[in-house]
Amino acid sequence: MTDTPRSSIYAKAREAGQEAEPDAIAEALQALGKSPTADLPAADLATAFMVNVLKNQGSVDCAADRSSAVQSVAEYLYRNFRSHRMVAGNDANLAALPWREAGVLPRFGSVEPGEPVALSYATLGIAETGAIVTLTGKANPAANNLLSEHHIVLLDTSRLVRDMESAWERIRQSTEKNGRPRGINFIAGPSSTGDIEGKLVYGAHGPRHWHVILMGDVPETALEEARELAGS
Amino acid sequence: MISTAGLSARANDGFPHLKQTSNTFLENAHEAMQDPEKTQVRDLMALFTPIMRDAAMDSFGHFDELRQHVKQVKQHSLEHLDHYLNRFEQEALQNGNHVHFAADADALNSTVLEICQQHSARLVAKGKSMVTEETGLNDYLKRAGLRVTETDLGEYIIQQAGETPSHIVGPALHKSAGEIRELFLAKHDLGDRELAETADLVGEARSVLREHFLKAEVGIIGANALIAENGYSMLVTNEGNGDLCANLPNVLIICTTIDRVLPRSEDATAMLRLLVRSATGQAQTCYTSFYSGPRREQDIDGPLETHIVLLDNRRTDILASDYKEMLQCIRCGACLNHCPIYASVGGHAYGWVYPGPMGSILTPLLTSLEQSSALPNACTSCGRCAEVCPADIPLPDLLRDLRHDETRRKLSPSRWRLGMRMHAWLARHPRIYHTLTGLGIRTLYLAGRRSGSFQRMPLASGWTSQRNFPAPEGKTFSSQYASLQRNEKARAVKAARASAATTPATGRKKTARRKPGQRIEPELRQDWPRRPDPRKPGNNARGSTVDDSSPDRQSAAHPAGPRGKKPRRRPEHD
Repeated sequence: MTDTPRSSIYAKAREAGQEAEPDAIAEALQALGKSPTADLPAADLATAFMVNVLKNQGSVDCAADRSSAVQSVAEYLYRNFRSHRMVAGNDANLAALPWREAGVLPRFGSVEPGEPVALSYATLGIAETGAIVTLTGKANPAANNLLSEHHIVLLDTSRLVRDMESAWERIRQSTEKNGRPRGINFIAGPSSTGDIEGKLVYGAHGPRHWHVILMGDVPETALEEARELAGS
Repeated sequence: MISTAGLSARANDGFPHLKQTSNTFLENAHEAMQDPEKTQVRDLMALFTPIMRDAAMDSFGHFDELRQHVKQVKQHSLEHLDHYLNRFEQEALQNGNHVHFAADADALNSTVLEICQQHSARLVAKGKSMVTEETGLNDYLKRAGLRVTETDLGEYIIQQAGETPSHIVGPALHKSAGEIRELFLAKHDLGDRELAETADLVGEARSVLREHFLKAEVGIIGANALIAENGYSMLVTNEGNGDLCANLPNVLIICTTIDRVLPRSEDATAMLRLLVRSATGQAQTCYTSFYSGPRREQDIDGPLETHIVLLDNRRTDILASDYKEMLQCIRCGACLNHCPIYASVGGHAYGWVYPGPMGSILTPLLTSLEQSSALPNACTSCGRCAEVCPADIPLPDLLRDLRHDETRRKLSPSRWRLGMRMHAWLARHPRIYHTLTGLGIRTLYLAGRRSGSFQRMPLASGWTSQRNFPAPEGKTFSSQYASLQRNEKARAVKAARASAATTPATGRKKTARRKPGQRIEPELRQDWPRRPDPRKPGNNARGSTVDDSSPDRQSAAHPAGPRGKKPRRRPEHD
C-alpha cells in the first residue's frame, strides 16, 4: 500500500471502526428505523404547509386553478411594483400558463440586474417545514432563487408532501428517471441574517420577500385558518 | 486505544498560522469580563438563545426520540466510516467531482491553493466554514496573493475587523451595531452616510458583497453533511451566501471533514431537524441545499469544475480514542449558548477556533493538551451542555476525562496537583478524613456562629472577595447521618422486642419490592450493597424506572442526575 493521505486515512478509519460486510452494514442501518418527523400545526396538509410558510416569514396565497394563479401573480406584481413584468424560469409548466388573461408579461430566463421579481415553479412543497423544493437546471437559474428582490413560487397541490422523507422519495423517483440534478434546493423563507446583535433582518444576500402561491384544490377556509394558526 | 498522550505527539504541527492563547484562559477571561457593555450583550444572548431553542424543541413533538435516532445513525456511520467514506467518494467521482484527501491543515490549504493557481484565480468568495477557520485557509491564500472575501455577514464583519469568530454559528455576535457601523464607515469607501439601523448595515454589506460574488473566480464553502448513497453534500444557511458561492463562480471547492459523512439523504435531513432547532430555534433554515457536482450538459449556470477536499486533521485519531463521542458533534452551538462560563467570558477567551464546552474538548484533541490544558477546567460541571446537546455527547464526562489526563500527565499547576493528592490521600483514609472534617467544621462553626457567615477566610479569598462564605451548622453530614441511623436502629430493636413479645414469629422476613418514588424504609436500606462494584454498569439507562428491591447506589444517589448513564469506559490508562 502506498502511503498517500487517502490510503492512510482509510486505513486509520478502518482500524478505528468495526469491520463488517456491506450487507451487514445495510441491515444494521435498516434496523435503526426512521427518524420521527415534526408535528404538523394542522391536520390538513395544505393548511399545515401554509402555516409553516407564514412562520418562515413568507407570504402566501391560494389559487383554485391556473387562471386564478396567473391572476394572483398579477395582483402581487401590481401591488408591489405597479407593473406586470417579471422573470420566470424556463419551465414548461410556467410557459403553459395563460399569462395574457391577466396581462402579465413574463420574460423566460435568468434574472438580470435591475429585474426585481422572479417566479419559480416548485418541484415539491414540504408541509413539515414550509419549504419548497427546486432542482437546478434550465427551469431554475440560480440567479432567480438567489439574486431577485422578490421571489414568487408557484406550487401545485399535487406536489405537496407531508415531510422530508416523503420529499426524498419523490426526488428519488425523479432522479432515477432524469439523472441527478446538480443541486437540490430546499427554500424556506426570504434570505435572512441575525449576525448583527442577533436582530433578524431580511434580504441578507438574496430575496427580501418570499411569496408562495398554492395552486389547486385547497379547502376554502384553509388560508384564513393558516393565518390564524400562524398568528399573523 | 489512545489517550490524548498519543494525540500530543504532533503538537504545533499543522497550525503554524494561529497564535493559540488557550493556556492563558484565566487571564483572557479576566480581561473579557472588564467590559460591562460586552458582558451585557453576552448576558442577553445567554438569556434568549435557550428560550428559542426550547420553544423549537417543544413544537417538534418528539425531540428526544429524534435525538436518539440521529445519535444511533451517527454512531453507526462512524463505526463504518471507511465503508461510507468510500461510497461517498465513488458517488462523488461519478457525479463529476474531483475528490481530495488532506491529512492535516497544511494539506488542505495547499490543495486549495493549487486548485486556485491552476485556474489563475485571484478572487475567492467564501461561505462560512469552521473547518477552514481550523486550518487558517484565509491567511494561507492571502499570503499567496489571493483576495479572499468572507460572504457570511458575521464572518465578513470579523474579517474586516481582523478578528476570529467568537461563536461557531454567530461569529460576530460579540460586536455591537455601533462598532460594526464604525467598521463599515472606515472600510467601505462610500462617502457620507448614516447607517443608523441594523437593516442599513445589512443593506450595505449586501451591495458590497454582491460585487464580490459576481467577480469571484472561485467559490469555497463547507458542508454540514456528506451523503454516501448519492455523493451530495448538504449546505445549511439563512443568508443564501453559501449558495451564491456554490452557484456563481466557475470553480467550486467544498472543504469539509471526513466525519460529516452520513449514509442516506434522510439521515442528513434528520440531522438537519436537530441542527437548526438547536442552533437558531428555527424549524428550517431559509436555504438547505444539496450539491452533487459541476454544471450538467443542459444547465445554463453553475460551476464548471467542482472539488471536494476531505480533511482528517486527527479525526481518525479521535475515532480510535476514548473521546470518539466528540465526533458526533453537529456544530450547532447549543452548548455554547447554555454554558455559564461561555456566557461570562465569551468565545475569544478560549484562545483558538472552537469555544465553549465543545471547544474545550476539541481544542486539546485537535491541537494538544499541553497547549490548552486550561480549557477542560473552564467548566462548572453543571451539566447543562450535555442536557441540550442534540448529539447527546456526554460533554462534562469528556471534560472530566481530559482533566484526569491533565493531572496524570502533570500539566496542571503543581499547587492544584498537590491539593488533589492531599485530597485523594484523605479520601482513602476515611477515619482521618472524618476526624479532620469534623474538626474543621466545628472550628468554622464556632468562629462564625455569631454572624452566620465569613467576610474573609484564609485560602478562600477567591470566594470571599465576591460574597460571604456561610458558616457551617456544627456537625458534618456524615456524623449527623450516623447518629440518625443509631437512633433508628435503637428504635427498631425496641419495636422488634415489643412485637416478639406479643405475636408469634412468622417464617420468613418479608421482602418488599420498592415502587418508583416509594420511600425507602430503614430496614431496606441495610440491604444496599456496601461497596458497589464501580465497573458494574449502572442498573439501567436513563428513562427506565427503578423497581428493584436493592436499588443501585448510583441511581439512588442521583435519582434525577443529568445523565443516569453507565460509567464511561476508561481503558487507556495504564
